[in-house]
Amino acid sequence: MTAFLPWFFGFLIIFLFAGAFLLLKKRQANFTLRPLRPSPQKMPLAKLDSPLFKEEYAGDLTIPSEVMPQPQEPEEELPGKYNIDRLVLMARDPHWLYAYWEISATTQEEFKTNYGPFAWGQSQPVLRIYDVTGTDFEKQSTFEYTDILISDQADDWYIQVGQPDRSFCIEVGRKFQNGHFITLLRSNVVSTPRASLSEQADEEWMWIENLYQTIKYQYGISSPLIVEEIAGRAGIVPLGISSPGFYVSQT
Amino acid sequence: MPSGFLALVLHMHLPYVRHPENEHFLEERWFYEAVTETYLPLLQVFERLVNDKVPFRLTISLSPPLISMFTDPLLQQRYDNYLEKLIELADKEVGRTYNSPFHKTALMYQHRFRQAKYLFNDVYQRQVMLGFKKYRDLGYLEVITCPATHGYLPLMMVQPETVRAQIATAVDIHRQYLGTLPPGIWLSECGYAPGIDDLLKEFKLRFFFTDTHGVLFASRRPRFGVFAPIYCPSGVAAFGRDVESSKQVWSAREGYPGDCDYREFYRDIGFDLDYDYIKPYIHPDGIRINTGIKYYRITGTTNHKEPYVFEWADHKAAMHAGNFMFNRQLQATHLSKLMERPPLIVAPYDAELFGHWWFEGPLWLEYLIRKIHFDQDTLELITPSDYLTRFPCNQVARPCASSWGNKGYHETWLNQANGWMYRHLHFAGAQMVELANRHPEASGLQRRALNQAGRELVLAQSSDWAFMMSTGTTVNYALSRTKSHLRNVLKLTAQIKENHIDEGWLSSLEGKNNIFPRLDYSWYQSHYRPDFS
Repeated sequence: MTAFLPWFFGFLIIFLFAGAFLLLKKRQANFTLRPLRPSPQKMPLAKLDSPLFKEEYAGDLTIPSEVMPQPQEPEEELPGKYNIDRLVLMARDPHWLYAYWEISATTQEEFKTNYGPFAWGQSQPVLRIYDVTGTDFEKQSTFEYTDILISDQADDWYIQVGQPDRSFCIEVGRKFQNGHFITLLRSNVVSTPRASLSEQADEEWMWIENLYQTIKYQYGISSPLIVEEIAGRAGIVPLGISSPGFYVSQT
Repeated sequence: MPSGFLALVLHMHLPYVRHPENEHFLEERWFYEAVTETYLPLLQVFERLVNDKVPFRLTISLSPPLISMFTDPLLQQRYDNYLEKLIELADKEVGRTYNSPFHKTALMYQHRFRQAKYLFNDVYQRQVMLGFKKYRDLGYLEVITCPATHGYLPLMMVQPETVRAQIATAVDIHRQYLGTLPPGIWLSECGYAPGIDDLLKEFKLRFFFTDTHGVLFASRRPRFGVFAPIYCPSGVAAFGRDVESSKQVWSAREGYPGDCDYREFYRDIGFDLDYDYIKPYIHPDGIRINTGIKYYRITGTTNHKEPYVFEWADHKAAMHAGNFMFNRQLQATHLSKLMERPPLIVAPYDAELFGHWWFEGPLWLEYLIRKIHFDQDTLELITPSDYLTRFPCNQVARPCASSWGNKGYHETWLNQANGWMYRHLHFAGAQMVELANRHPEASGLQRRALNQAGRELVLAQSSDWAFMMSTGTTVNYALSRTKSHLRNVLKLTAQIKENHIDEGWLSSLEGKNNIFPRLDYSWYQSHYRPDFS
C-alpha cells in the first residue's frame, strides 16, 4: 500500500501536466480559429504607446464580404415551366435583344398532329428575327429576316442585332430540312434604343401651363456649336461612374 | 438672373429589408447605418443652414421602401437598440484610444452617435420622415417619389399594368406621409423607356430624370443638349444628367471621395480589432461586420494607412466644395453664351453616397450650399418644378431608352446573372393583372389575398435584387428574396383561383411582408386610372 502512494501521486502529476498541455493546445487551436485579418491594435488595452499608432501597415485590405449567417433552409424552387405559350422579347441595349419563351405541351402536340408524329424530331428549333421598323407586322407579308439555329433545351436567348433605333419582332418555330419553316410562337414588337444623336434636327416646342398645350414653331438658326460640344462629351460619357447604391466602390 | 442654374438631386433609397423573425439580420443594418451616417447628418446640414438663414433649394427623392422603413415601429425600435449598442462601443473606444492619435476621432464618433440618438428620439420622435417633410414644408426641399419598390420599369413595360401599380403605390404612400401629390418622380436607376412617361402623366407627375444620353439621344436633337429639359410628347418633362458634375463626385479615382485626407471606408474596427474585444458588437454568430467606427484616412493607394484627422478632412471638404462650384460656374458661363436662356446643370446622386461611403459628403454639401449663397452670383440652386415654372416652354422630343447603369442601357438588370427572373416576374405580373380584372369587387379574405399578392409582387420587382445578382454582392440574399416573394405571389394567386385561401398563412405574410398596407389590388386592373379630383 505504502509503495502504491508514490505511484499514485506520480500518475496524478502526469495527468495534471497532460491536462494542462491539452488545455493549452486547445487554446492555441482557438487562436488559430480567429479571423485571418490583421489586427494591428492587438496590444493590451491599458498599455498603449502612442508611437505605435503613428504608422500602421495592414497586411491586406480585402473588401469585407457580407456573409449570410442565416441557416439556409432548402428553398422550394420556382416552377421550371408554367405550361403556357409565350414568347417575350425585350430590348436590352442598342445592339442586343433578349427573348424567353415557353412552348406548351398542347402546342407541341398540335404540331405533331399537323405534321406527323416524327415531325418534331425531324425539324430544328429556330429563332427567326424580323426587322419590322416602320411597318405593321400584321399587315405586311414579306420581311427581311435572320434565322438563328437553337437547341431544343434553350428557352431564352440573347440576340445580337447590332442595330440601334430599329424595331424587331421574332418567332420561335421549327425548320424542316427542305427549309420549310413553321411558326410556333410570335413575340411582341420592341425597338432598340438610339446610340447616337438623332438625325432629326427640326424642332418642336411645347408650352405647358395648366393644360397641356402644344405650340409648334421652328427656330431658324440651330446652334450646332452646342450640339458638337455635347457630342464631343458624349464620346467620353463615363456611363459606369454612376453605379447605384452603396456598392459603387465594392464592385 | 444668374448665368446658370444648378439642380442638386439626392436620391434616397434602400431596399425594404425587415425581418421580424431575426433581430440580428445583417441586411437590416443597411438601413440603420444609413440613418446614422446619411439621413440624420443630412437633416443636421439642413438645420444648420436654416438656422444661419442660408436659403437653398434641393431635390430629394424619398423612395417608398425607405418611407415604409422610416415609419415602421419595429425597425424604429431596433434602430434605437442598435444605436444603444453603438454608443456603448464608442464609449469604450474613447477609453481604449486614450493618449493615442485615434482618441479625437473616437470622441467624434461618441459625439455623433449620441447626437443621432438625441435627434432620433427627442427631436424627431423616431419619425425621421418628418424631418424631410419639415424642410419641404419650409420651402427648402422639393420632395419627389420613385417607383414603389424601385422596380426597374423599362423591363416591366411588357405589362404596363404592373408599371402603373408601381407608380400608383408610390404616389399613394407619398400622399399619405407628405400630404401632397409628388410633383415628379425619380425613375429607378434613371431607367426610362418610351411609354413610361404616358403612365407618369396619369398620375400628374410633371417630370423625371434620365442619364445624359436619355435626353441627348432623344428622337429629335435637343437644342440645348442636357442643359434644358425636354418634354416628352405626353408633356412630361425629362431632365438629363450632367456628366461633368457627376464625374467629379462619383468617380472612384478622380472623384473627391478618394482624397487622401478623407476617411477610409474599409478600415473598420469591426474587422481590425481583437476578436474578443469586438465580439459583443459584431454579429452574434461571430461574423465580423462594419461597426461604423473607422480611424484611418485614405492616405494613399497602398495598404499603408494613417490616422484620420478631422480638421484636414473638413478643410478638404471646403476646398472640394469650392472646386465644384468653380467648375459649375465656368460651365454655366460658357454654356450661357451658347444658349438663349440660362443653362440648367442637373447633378443627381445616390444620397447614401453622402455620409455612408463618403463620410465627409454631407459636410461638402453644406459648404457647397453656403458658398453658392455667399460667394458668388453666377449660379443659383433650383428644383425641377421651379425651373418649369420659370421656363414653361421647352422642346418636344421622345427621350431615348436608357439608364444610369453600366453601359447606359438595361444590361445591369438583364444579363446572365439575372435574366432568368423575368419569365417568373412577368408570369406573376400576368397572374396578378388577370385576377385583378376578374375580381372587380373582391371583398373579405379574397380582397386581403389579392392585396397581399400585390405586395409580394412589388417586393419581388425591386431592382435591388437584380442589381445585387449582377454585381455579385449579397447574391444569396437577393436570390432568396426574389424567389420567396415570387413563390408567395404564385401560391396566393393559385389559392384565389381555387377559392381556397389559407387564412393563417395569409395573416403571417401580412405580418411579415407588411409594406404598403394601403396597396389596393384594383391598381392592377387594366382599366384602372387614378382619380385625384
